[in-house]
Amino acid sequence: MADLADTSFSGRALRRRTFLRVASATAASSALILAGCGKDDNPNPNPGVTSGQSVFAGNDTGILNLTYLLAQIQAAFYQKVLTTPPADFTADDKAAFVDMRDHEVIYREFYKSALGTSADINLAQGLEFNFTPYTLTTRKGVYEAARTLEDLAVGAYNGVGRRLRNFSYLRLQLKITSVKARHAAFVRDQVEPNSFAGADVITPTGGQAGLDTIKTPVEVAKLLAPLVPVVLVADNLMLL
Amino acid sequence: MDFLNLLARLADLDSTSAAPHTAAPRRAALGRLGQAGTALLPGLLLSALSQPATAGTLDTRTRLDVLLLTRQLAALGNELYSRALGLVPGYAALPLTATEKAGLQVIQQQETQRITLFSQLITDGGATLPAAPRYDFTGSKNGTKPALYPDIQTNPDTFLLVAQVLKDLAVRVYKSQVEFVGSDAYLIETLLRSHSAEARHAAHLRTLRRQRGAVVKSWISPDDAPLATPPAAVARVYEGESNIIQTYNTSAANGDLGPLVSVPFDSTLPINVATPPLSPEAILRKVAEAFDEPADAVVAINVVALFTY
Repeated sequence: MADLADTSFSGRALRRRTFLRVASATAASSALILAGCGKDDNPNPNPGVTSGQSVFAGNDTGILNLTYLLAQIQAAFYQKVLTTPPADFTADDKAAFVDMRDHEVIYREFYKSALGTSADINLAQGLEFNFTPYTLTTRKGVYEAARTLEDLAVGAYNGVGRRLRNFSYLRLQLKITSVKARHAAFVRDQVEPNSFAGADVITPTGGQAGLDTIKTPVEVAKLLAPLVPVVLVADNLMLL
Repeated sequence: MDFLNLLARLADLDSTSAAPHTAAPRRAALGRLGQAGTALLPGLLLSALSQPATAGTLDTRTRLDVLLLTRQLAALGNELYSRALGLVPGYAALPLTATEKAGLQVIQQQETQRITLFSQLITDGGATLPAAPRYDFTGSKNGTKPALYPDIQTNPDTFLLVAQVLKDLAVRVYKSQVEFVGSDAYLIETLLRSHSAEARHAAHLRTLRRQRGAVVKSWISPDDAPLATPPAAVARVYEGESNIIQTYNTSAANGDLGPLVSVPFDSTLPINVATPPLSPEAILRKVAEAFDEPADAVVAINVVALFTY
């Protein structure tokens, strides 16, 4: 898709920007890529991978693995909250979290099924996620954590859309993206009324005013890093 | 396409045009190039190739068509919210709480931002903006036919229902329109980011309605109370949303598309994780919730027609 970007209204500017962004990202982490060549040789046969490296390939498979990881993290997050809810969690909160947990499990199993043997070996074995950056003992803390994760997912999906080659994947991801955005708006409103489309996610001024958050795969990997026990290398996706 | 010839013709067009493009001739030329490319390549190649065999007729919408439609939806929304908030002379503000108003203001302001953005893209591309339509949100077409929503200007619940329908509609239509800008990375990102912003707005309106007593989730659900005798155009906004069949084409390493695969939500996938497990019917309702479905442009055009005259 991006190959044809020169026919766009402003594709030239975009491509120049993309190139600069990619060039710096690649320079900064070429050492990581080289170090990660053996990523599929993880000898750890146990479920609950606690170390290693996941390198996302620069193609649709890499993108699906990244969104597979997002779904895994969020399904685990909602399940963890439901298993040990904060004391001030209401029945309505629980019902919403059950819905969101079920949606995330549906996404996770969809990606697992679509990836088949192309699933990243660490993701296939199951990762032990670390949610200690969040305060999960209060309703407020739980919703703040959900806000962070849902906004990140919306930004991630908005960032990978144009990088997908197989349009049928994009169609499915679009169907998921808007539900993620609905999750995000809902949990944001619970943390702070009317923050569903706040200035921290919807660009408030300038040429992109009114547009929702967008994250590059490398930004997504960086933001997910504290939650994941393996090193995430998403640089290849920046070349798409 | 003979690229150099096209450039030459664009240059001719620029120098002979009566329109004052002197301020930014290069940008105008590039914009026109985009537009010309659009006109020359309707029914985007990528999209056409990846259409499943079961798809209907090949749509031939251009990028300009897409931008005009998204701008139209934003303009309609802006007018709807502006009237509800008392920002339009002759229309008294609805009796909403201060908190409710504050949220609607956020949506209204973001509608105007989207109008600005899409208008800019349309005029940069060398096209002209259509005249502002006349709106009648009661659906009476300025009193020439029975009103569909007679109390929309006085009853917040009626207003919020129509607002929700329009936002859920926008979310669905953006999905289908992305296919027609598929070669344009900038426009794809712009549409995706507008699409998710619309979904945030839709969820907020649904949350608001639920707080006011409506049976509706923040995401579109088969559990939502059905609309009471909706006009046909409005009924179509939710048509197919309870779909549980999701499909994709496999793709080979070289990018070639393979067979169509149906995701086995109703058989083998271990998605029923609740304790105790949900009924097979109930878990499939969750599957329907988890995916928002696309809708063709005509669905939006028909709804917009209800409120314009």
